[in-house]
Amino acid sequence: MTEFITNKVNPAVLPHLEIWGSDVAIYLFLGGLSGGLLVISAAMVLLQNGGIFNKNRPRENYSGMVQVASLLAPVLLGIGMLFLFLDLEFKLHVWRFYTNFNITSPMSWGSWLLILFFPFSALQALVVFKNYYQRAPKFQQLAAVMESQLDKIAFINVHVGLAIGVYTGILLSTFYARPLWSSPALGFLFLFSGLSSAAALLLLFAPREEKTFFSKMDMYLIALEGFAATLFILGGMTGIETAKEAMLLLLVGPYAPWFWVLFVLGGLIVPLLLETFEAIGKIKFTPLVPLLILVGGLSLRFIIVFAGQSVPTFS
Amino acid sequence: MAKVNRRQFIKISSAFLASSAAASQVFDWPFQVKNAIAEEFLTADRIVPTTCEICFWRCGVDAHVRDEKVYKLTGQANHPLSNGRLCPRGNGGQGLLYDPNRLRHPLIRVTVNGKPQFRKTSWDEALTLIAERFQQITEQYGTESVAMFSHGFGASFFKTLFSAYGIRTFSAPSYAQCRGPRTEAFKLTYGHAVGSPEAIDVANSKYLVLLGSHLGENMHNTAVQDFSKAISRGCKVVVVDPRYSTAASKAEHWLPIKPGTDLALLRSWIHILINEKIYDVEFIENNATGLEELWEGVKDATPEKTYALTGIPVEQIVAVGRDLGRYGSSALIHPGRHVTWYGDDTQRERAIAILNALLGNYQMPGGLIQQEKYSSYKPKFPVARNAGQQFKSRYPFASSVPANEIVEQTISADPYPVKSWFVYGTNLIHSLGDQRATMEAIQNLDFMVAVDVLPAEITGYADVVLPECTYLERYDDLDNRTYRIPYLAIRQPAVAPLYDSKPGHEIARLLSMKMGLPDLFEADIETYLDKQLKEMGSSLSELKKSGVLKKEESDLYRKEGEMLRFKTPSGKIELASQRLKDAGFDAVPQYYPPPENPPGYFRMLYGRAPMHTFGRTANNRVLGELMPENELWVNEIAGHDMKLKHGEYVYLVNQDQVKSRTRIKVRLTQRIRPDAVYLVHGFGHTDPRMEFAFRRGVSDADLVTKLSVDPIMGGTGMNNNFVTFSRT
Amino acid sequence: MSRKKNYAMVIDTRACVGCSACVYACKSENSVPEGFCRDWIEQKIQGSFPNLTMELRSNRCQHCEDAPCVTYCPTGSSHYAGDGTVQIDRDLCTGCKACLAACPYDARYIHPIGYADKCSFCQHRLKKGLQPACVTTCPTDALHLVDLNSNDGIFENLLEDRKTTQDIVHAGTGPKLFWLQ
Repeated sequence: MTEFITNKVNPAVLPHLEIWGSDVAIYLFLGGLSGGLLVISAAMVLLQNGGIFNKNRPRENYSGMVQVASLLAPVLLGIGMLFLFLDLEFKLHVWRFYTNFNITSPMSWGSWLLILFFPFSALQALVVFKNYYQRAPKFQQLAAVMESQLDKIAFINVHVGLAIGVYTGILLSTFYARPLWSSPALGFLFLFSGLSSAAALLLLFAPREEKTFFSKMDMYLIALEGFAATLFILGGMTGIETAKEAMLLLLVGPYAPWFWVLFVLGGLIVPLLLETFEAIGKIKFTPLVPLLILVGGLSLRFIIVFAGQSVPTFS
Repeated sequence: MAKVNRRQFIKISSAFLASSAAASQVFDWPFQVKNAIAEEFLTADRIVPTTCEICFWRCGVDAHVRDEKVYKLTGQANHPLSNGRLCPRGNGGQGLLYDPNRLRHPLIRVTVNGKPQFRKTSWDEALTLIAERFQQITEQYGTESVAMFSHGFGASFFKTLFSAYGIRTFSAPSYAQCRGPRTEAFKLTYGHAVGSPEAIDVANSKYLVLLGSHLGENMHNTAVQDFSKAISRGCKVVVVDPRYSTAASKAEHWLPIKPGTDLALLRSWIHILINEKIYDVEFIENNATGLEELWEGVKDATPEKTYALTGIPVEQIVAVGRDLGRYGSSALIHPGRHVTWYGDDTQRERAIAILNALLGNYQMPGGLIQQEKYSSYKPKFPVARNAGQQFKSRYPFASSVPANEIVEQTISADPYPVKSWFVYGTNLIHSLGDQRATMEAIQNLDFMVAVDVLPAEITGYADVVLPECTYLERYDDLDNRTYRIPYLAIRQPAVAPLYDSKPGHEIARLLSMKMGLPDLFEADIETYLDKQLKEMGSSLSELKKSGVLKKEESDLYRKEGEMLRFKTPSGKIELASQRLKDAGFDAVPQYYPPPENPPGYFRMLYGRAPMHTFGRTANNRVLGELMPENELWVNEIAGHDMKLKHGEYVYLVNQDQVKSRTRIKVRLTQRIRPDAVYLVHGFGHTDPRMEFAFRRGVSDADLVTKLSVDPIMGGTGMNNNFVTFSRT
Repeated sequence: MSRKKNYAMVIDTRACVGCSACVYACKSENSVPEGFCRDWIEQKIQGSFPNLTMELRSNRCQHCEDAPCVTYCPTGSSHYAGDGTVQIDRDLCTGCKACLAACPYDARYIHPIGYADKCSFCQHRLKKGLQPACVTTCPTDALHLVDLNSNDGIFENLLEDRKTTQDIVHAGTGPKLFWLQ
């Protein structure tokens, strides 16, 4: 029998870590979502006629969904960063992220990556909305100049989007003191979750004729996300004692109902089945599918952020 | 990137701090230096060396003052009791100084619409009232009808005043509720007491036996320093305690004794030492009397019989007994400190004194030692000629007045009435035990004065409450006690008194004017201290600067072949005491079993925690942060049997069906015997004026309704009380 | 040539009585606000009645050689001070709490002003040639600040004939608190 008593009082670390709440969970979700949106929109720009692989054909007009995704990516990320800012304990010092670059700090990478995200995603948005600037000739000119460089911009954006998506997971996974988080699979889990959420959001807004496209895209992404989730669970269960303990807490502990019902069932399995039925024409498209995926993606961030703090410190 | 001006930035962040200070309670602490940038609060405006009084050990403490606030207390490097170090309580002394609940003004009890209330008043009115009432009462009932209770050496000025006035009844709970049995037992055996700080050489001991000692939880600074030194030097420690104490965790043998049977164990060790002739034969032959009688007296205390009484395996009893013989004069049975347990306390302490004598550790390294005073000079004050009767204790060997006897006499008025109490710095409600008797006695009083820093429960019953300032705001008499390193130390104010509080010496002086003794005290305390110091070959200005003066370590040990002379009737160590025998007691300590637990009840044991001094610090916010309440230790298995849950709050109900006024948190632990429970003394305050301490934890004093009074000297054994649990 | 310091702490769990004097001394010295602490006491009791052992010890930041808090700090606020200690530059701290998540010893807290805070080995005192407040006050002389780069033999003397342990060494951070058993 062991009795352990400490008179440490610090509430942020005792009885367990308690530093990040909803703010950070929402930020991670919006970060992943906007990263996904940027990846999808930039990829669509690259792949369309006139894009990088179809240079011999004239460039098409940009579809509504490319426009929506290009616009939402920086906007949602901005909102996400607002949540991140809300979480800072010393808000007056927020500019300190940009007086230093620490090569070993994922958060430092992340902050600079966010800086990269905005100008390039904004340029892409500027170009894809080129038909809206009749009354602003200067804008029109700028958009025209940029359109000539669009392939390069979109190429960068695909990578920046992927990096942001991975970063939201890596941010947590590099804390080896926190056994639930310290899993290399977390970066991919969050990346694919972000991508599938983005696809789901577009599926929600897409006109009827484009729904099949986004639904299929989403199917693959969900499958990949499920694969990453499996790796994440296996990695924990086959890890060292504290990692296994932490994973068990997630799988059968107080967070288990949320994990299984909201994320696994609601965010992965049910939408995957429904999308399959949709694809083979058994059922009509329903907004339920994208909503389930979005809720699942958000819950995943909440569950990981909170459960990861409630598990005992690495020892 | 523009270079940021660092100085300016610090200003910004401190401005931010100032605004959050207004918003947040966290920064309301007056002693929290406003600017939290570390580099800035390193320098104190002044460092004042003074004497601590968070407990009564009297360590030298340096008060670091900045902007007229004491923000840090450190141990005086040169003071022999602190050696540069401080216990947790001493470190948190500013929590008393800046306690928001401190008494701020003199208060007088008045009745408004039939309800008693306190009215703020001036010092002049309060002291005039005291002088008038004392005059009335002493005229009517004699000066013996006034009794003074005190704790702490700040009381000296009042004792001087009352002695000059003719009042002669002075009592302190530190005698009959604490160390008295030890004092009398050692006087009966060796002719002198152990003293405080104890004249024992723990640091050099090679084999140390502790009985129920809370050393390490009771944080008398030097005592703990010596204990740790001994451990680091490889001293073997034996701890006899129903509880796995801090000391027990350092011990080679922990003997989880059945509570109340310590005397049986001690007798068995005496038995082994004599039976196996492994005591210091030469020392005993030359310096002690009564060995044969002692042997006759302990002949029956065989290890086998003792096992049946104490629950300690025979092998362990024998192993420790033989170790004692082997280590001889370098072994020490610690005399303990708070020793009023079961009513057989003087005899138990006698057994300890006898065991030490048999080991021959008297004035030997690691044993009992000699200590000295820095100076034999003592200021002289007049004593009233027309003084009333001396208080006569019922108990033949009480060398000091047992406080509980004054309580009894206040109730019985036999042989004469006690009509007035003057209570200085001791919360009798919590310290005496048997609260019902204390309350009843208070009802019989015509007049009570309480001098205190905090609104302790006792002040709520007083007719006049005088707010004394804390030790950090006042001078007191010089500290000139006996210690192995003779020293002379000063208590001096680090900061001016807060509110309308006054130092004790000033209160006594003002009161002396009102009581018709205008020439008793010097007009100025500094002159008074300076005069004394000149007599001792120093001066106030010197001591104010250095804080302490000390001499070379005194001759602690006896010399080879030195003839010893003891102040006992026989001139020798009295292994068997004729004086006890003549008074009708056992000449050699005999064991009488303590009362057994009623079924379903647990023996209630209480003790100390490092962060607190009795009930005096429960309201200290600084100290309370790490220990805001006490917990009830219950053996895990016994607790499960009683369906107790770890962490739940329960009331305690004792054998007389008295229920605790507050609830206590249950701690299920392996660290205690299944037949006893344990809690730290000093919690469960019920005076709402002490806002922090109010109703936190349980007061063991609530439940000590049975006092097992030691018939030899009147000590009040408090460990024969039993409790069970109640959820409602 | 003056050697660089490499401060570490040796804590004697046999001498320690777990009194918390170190905690209070630290709080006064460093104005640690109410409800927070830079050092603390741990009691570990093992066994069952009456065969028990108890370890008492004072704990604090380990001032790791490869400190994850420094690794993860995005702004360079947590840094190696060059004397073997890990320090926090409050001007640089954003309160992002990455260091709290990174520390396997849970040694940090967020000061109400907003910056991360922890034991500094009383760097301001070290600069003046003084010992840390906790070391100075410890009534049991259980705490010892040592310089691992020094040849004075203090560190070796303390460890002589004593079993020495360190906490979660396998975290790989190179902790610098040594516990004498």
